[in-house]
Amino acid sequence: MTHAAMIGVDVGGTFTDVVAVRDGVIETVKIATDLIDSARGVLSGADTIGVADATMFNHASTAGLNALLTRRLPKVGLLCTAGHRDVLDIGQNWRPAEAVSDPRWRRSFGDAARPLVPRYLRRGVRERIAADGTVFIPLDVEQARGQIRILGRCAVDGIAICLLNAYVCAAHEETLRELVRAELGDVLCVVSSEVSPLAREYQRTSTTVIDAMMGIIYRAYSDRLVGGLRELGFNGRLNYADSAAMLAPVDIAMARPSRVIFSGPAAGTNASAHFGALIDDGHLLCADVGGTSTDVSVVIAGRPIVDNQIELEHDLLVSTLSTQITSVGAGGGSIVYSGPSGEIGVGPQSAGADPGPACYAQGGAQPTLTDACLLIGILDESRFAGGARRLDVARAEAAFCALDTPLDFSARVRHAFDIGLHNIAEGIVDITIRNGLDPREYSLVAYGAAGPMLLPSLLDLVQARRVIVPPHPGLFSALGLLSADLVFMESRSHYLPLAGDSAQLIDAIYSELDAAVCAQLGDRDEARFHRSFDARMTGQAYETAFIDAPAGTIGAAEVERMIATFHDVYALRAGNRFPEVPLQAVTFRVQATLTTAKARFPVLDRRTAGAPTAVREVELRHLASAPYPCAEYARSELACDDQIAGPAIVREPLSTTFVPPAHGLTVGRYGELIIAARDDHA
Amino acid sequence: MPDGARPDSLRELTEPEFVARYGAGRFTCGVLANRGRYVAEHICTALLHRAFSPIITFSQDFVGAIVGPPEQGYPLTAVNKGNVIFLGSMSTGVRNTVHEFGIERLAPGDLLICNDPFRVGNHVNDLCFIRPVFHAGAIVSFVVIRAHQLDMGGAIPGGFSLMKTSVYDNGLVLGPQLIFQRDRPVKETLRIILDNTRFGETLLPDFYTIRSCCALGERLLQDSIERYGITAYTGAIRYNIDASAAAMQDALEALPDGDWSGCDEVDSDGIDADETYRLVVHLRKRGARLEVDLSGTSRQARTALNATALDAQTAVALAVKLALDPYTPFTSGLYRNIDVVIPDGSVTSARPDAAVMFYFEVQSALVNAILRALAAPLGSRAIGGAYGSTNLHTGAGFNPDGTPWFSAAELEAQYGAWGATDTGDGNNHSGLAMLNMIMPSVEEIEPRVPALILHREYLPDTAGPGTHRGGAGLLKQSVFLSAGDHYLVPLHFRTPSGGGVHGGGDGRVGGAWFFTASNADDRTPVTGSDIPDTDDFGTATVIAGTVDPHTGKLTADGEFAFFGRRPVWREGRGAVLRWITNGGGGWSDPLARDPEAVKRDVRDEYVSITGARRDYGVCVVGDPLTDPEGLVVDLAETARLRRDLAARRTPR
Repeated sequence: MTHAAMIGVDVGGTFTDVVAVRDGVIETVKIATDLIDSARGVLSGADTIGVADATMFNHASTAGLNALLTRRLPKVGLLCTAGHRDVLDIGQNWRPAEAVSDPRWRRSFGDAARPLVPRYLRRGVRERIAADGTVFIPLDVEQARGQIRILGRCAVDGIAICLLNAYVCAAHEETLRELVRAELGDVLCVVSSEVSPLAREYQRTSTTVIDAMMGIIYRAYSDRLVGGLRELGFNGRLNYADSAAMLAPVDIAMARPSRVIFSGPAAGTNASAHFGALIDDGHLLCADVGGTSTDVSVVIAGRPIVDNQIELEHDLLVSTLSTQITSVGAGGGSIVYSGPSGEIGVGPQSAGADPGPACYAQGGAQPTLTDACLLIGILDESRFAGGARRLDVARAEAAFCALDTPLDFSARVRHAFDIGLHNIAEGIVDITIRNGLDPREYSLVAYGAAGPMLLPSLLDLVQARRVIVPPHPGLFSALGLLSADLVFMESRSHYLPLAGDSAQLIDAIYSELDAAVCAQLGDRDEARFHRSFDARMTGQAYETAFIDAPAGTIGAAEVERMIATFHDVYALRAGNRFPEVPLQAVTFRVQATLTTAKARFPVLDRRTAGAPTAVREVELRHLASAPYPCAEYARSELACDDQIAGPAIVREPLSTTFVPPAHGLTVGRYGELIIAARDDHA
Repeated sequence: MPDGARPDSLRELTEPEFVARYGAGRFTCGVLANRGRYVAEHICTALLHRAFSPIITFSQDFVGAIVGPPEQGYPLTAVNKGNVIFLGSMSTGVRNTVHEFGIERLAPGDLLICNDPFRVGNHVNDLCFIRPVFHAGAIVSFVVIRAHQLDMGGAIPGGFSLMKTSVYDNGLVLGPQLIFQRDRPVKETLRIILDNTRFGETLLPDFYTIRSCCALGERLLQDSIERYGITAYTGAIRYNIDASAAAMQDALEALPDGDWSGCDEVDSDGIDADETYRLVVHLRKRGARLEVDLSGTSRQARTALNATALDAQTAVALAVKLALDPYTPFTSGLYRNIDVVIPDGSVTSARPDAAVMFYFEVQSALVNAILRALAAPLGSRAIGGAYGSTNLHTGAGFNPDGTPWFSAAELEAQYGAWGATDTGDGNNHSGLAMLNMIMPSVEEIEPRVPALILHREYLPDTAGPGTHRGGAGLLKQSVFLSAGDHYLVPLHFRTPSGGGVHGGGDGRVGGAWFFTASNADDRTPVTGSDIPDTDDFGTATVIAGTVDPHTGKLTADGEFAFFGRRPVWREGRGAVLRWITNGGGGWSDPLARDPEAVKRDVRDEYVSITGARRDYGVCVVGDPLTDPEGLVVDLAETARLRRDLAARRTPR
């Protein structure tokens, strides 16, 4: 019986990964991202893999994120409360650790550097609402109209509106939106009280502005995608993954486009969680090692951790649900340098894809981690990227020779490899500490093109249980798009005492949220509902998020349960219990999850006789006092339950796995490579 | 100079020599040094997110640090991105506290505290929490959190009154004592604190949270010791200190030898307007060593303006670091090649009977004086001056319904412009160099404090002009919805703090004003129509600044208004407090600024059309208010203006 196909597309900064699952078989296409017109690239990938038989086309993209980071942004005007146009220049005021005593530091998104919205497009409107929602200064409609006309004269692509205390009272924002409509017609216009009705004007303003920008970037793109896919015969459903790897139908996602900004990295975590479920491992550290950075995330008991805010650059914040990801400036392209006392350092500067590592021979003169791996012998000059690119050993050598350090050549290469590993390890340790985890209970999932080559060597450093290299590690994030559920979600922020007196109000809020989610669901009746809330103790500035709330009618007893759950969760996360301090609820949330068909990984056969045979033997240099031999295997020839002792190299077209000495590899049921210290391996 | 190997050979060491010296290789030492900083950062993230006190959780007025073992001299080896004001005194403060308490009395799980400025630096609100880290029965490190407490008792809520005149009305002084013993609270200590301070309901849970953050820090350090061994762990601390000493030594060697002097001043100590407090520095640099001599600095203040010698040490280290070695992480090694001469009984080294509270204002002026002294040898690398003073405000009173209100360090103009440098325009909004704090948002302040913050916006023509422009001055204005007492401490409105460098101009000097409501009683509601226009100064009482006595507006040749003439500003409902902060200094000749950049500044209202002509010799045509994209530069007129301005300059 033929199963309908599912397509996942992950648009990265360098490559667009397309995967299809058709009749239980995973097909993959990797194409260069079309930086001029990424929809064209996606459609050509879709054409190649075929979409006419597909029921689902799930999409993630870093186009919006890259536009923000490079400031190739649409022109958005901001209407704000008069006297506060500089909220976006100030941020939260603080400097990052590396700039605490740097007099040359400038806020990356400030007016003296690269603002998202230049000051003249941030226009003050005469009005003021007080913290209790009362009007202190009525909205001056004529003055506001004048400001809107100025933005119109500047031909903005969109307008963001964020007024002080609008999270309590949205009346002025709504009036302003009507004025924008009247003056400028159907220009895209978003208001903060809808995008993110939370206290703190800076975070709300940045979120609203970024939402407007993502709207402009993605809506036209989505329309092109929908039209193009239809022309290719696609009759299924187009979904976007959001920053928490929840799938949403395109029209719902585009109603709040800031939520898709981090969709690419989140999809990788989701792929790990899904694959972990298949192999019955729910405790995962997920590491996506790319060219410039490593994204680390964690899955606990089968579920990724979700935060309610993303930090895109130091202090550049977006309030949206997002898989918690720590980015470390260490990847295959990270540049190796020598520091003041002759020590070797790696990153965070990266050679990127252009000029790339020295061995690419594209003009890069500085050594990178990829060059180190080539010199060690983990990478092969003639078999990189399935033989598509020949690597230049001489250039890699020259780059390491040029470092100003008393260390000998071997030490330079070895230290670069070790420091690079160590930088990645810090990202992993960081996320385990932040969540209070013991890494010894966690498996490290290695993906991204450089993950399998580097991560097995840091097992000792992070003390993880084992490394898992899943099938298709180079396209694993895209597979995550075929491992996600459709989630319909509504939330409401409302600052109120979490006490019996509030039960009626809380019940009304949850009832409204239930109804709104049901309206989104339409006739889909199989959904699982889940309620949660964020709250804090009186006096605290930060909320403790995602606390379970009971289903059904909320009365005084249910509120008591919510309070008790809060204190239990807080004690677990923070180590202290302050039951005497009253609580304030901040955000209420209802999610309805619709279980969605997922990618299945084919089961590998067992070998009927014998052991896997090496395709050749290579020599590994610089890692020890003398070179040592290392067997090389082809992944395609491995069978379930095969065992290989390290040192060993396993090659596949888009990735290389390195099993260090004293470690062993076992091939799992779905072809996953499981690497552990030899003692635990037997 | 702490014990340690001569750092000059660090780079030349072979790997075996390196291992022999530090007990571990370069790789392990680098890893452990890095780990220390991660640990400091983690404990602070935990505290920031879990604290109850607004000054900790909204403002981040604290720092987390790792201090090395006693036999190494208690070196400061790692800090988080917190407030630099605490760093220079950290090593000495921990040593003093531990010695006086008795190192032999410390046990695992103890949390030692001290807040005496003369023992640990800073002021009494900055409580120092010290947790020893034991290995095999010996102390191998300390995890330290230095955190500003909302109140430490004394004459006024919060303690930010300049008018305190002795140590006895300054606040509760806590000598070295345990607040937790073997992870159990010491009730006697908690009672002493809670019986003598305000806001105990906030302080107490924060003490528990700080203990758990320090315990987290210890656990992470113990992991490092377990993994790398104690020899490598302690060796890496020595390496880390040596590495930062080496970096500073390199930086000093790169500077030409010479003698330079600099000066900045604090407007007053609050008693009278006649005496400014001068911070005088004489630098003598020879080879790899630098002497910083503060002789000539003003006498100890009669009020709480004072700093201790420990605070002076912090400011010296920071200023030299800003100028010469900004990027090496801050450790005790930074001091190794610097000698500081501090005269006894000066405002930088008050004697133990003095009130010490506004030490950070003294630090700010001292940093500025040193940067001014270094401007000559640095040449094009000189750093423009910043906004100068935190202008602190404390307010307290009763709401119409009888409930009390309180606000500290929220409604002043605590942050502002930085000076320009060779790399670009100055930031508009940051902490002084010694501060790295979060500014509480309007929406966090207003539900707690009966005030509306009406303006936080930059003013045109306030930035020091230059090829690179300084940051702009800020207009900050709040209206109070309840009557109250206001304690105001603006300390740098007499002379420019934002000095221009390398041919750049000074930032404009600001001031402060109070507008008293005409119907200031408890019954009439305050409305938006009661708010003065931002260009109205005539109906205000000038708090501080040099103003035209008729218009109340700032003018360089006006009269200086002295804030201390009223120790307490008692204001009714509807009063409006206005600040204009000092602009940052410009860098290099403003006539060389790209006319397109000047046009952008006019478009963005950082510079007016008039200011563009006057300060930059650029003729911008158009109306920035109504047609910001329609502006054009008249190139011919610009060339003529620039020729004329250049010709009119007095030859140097």
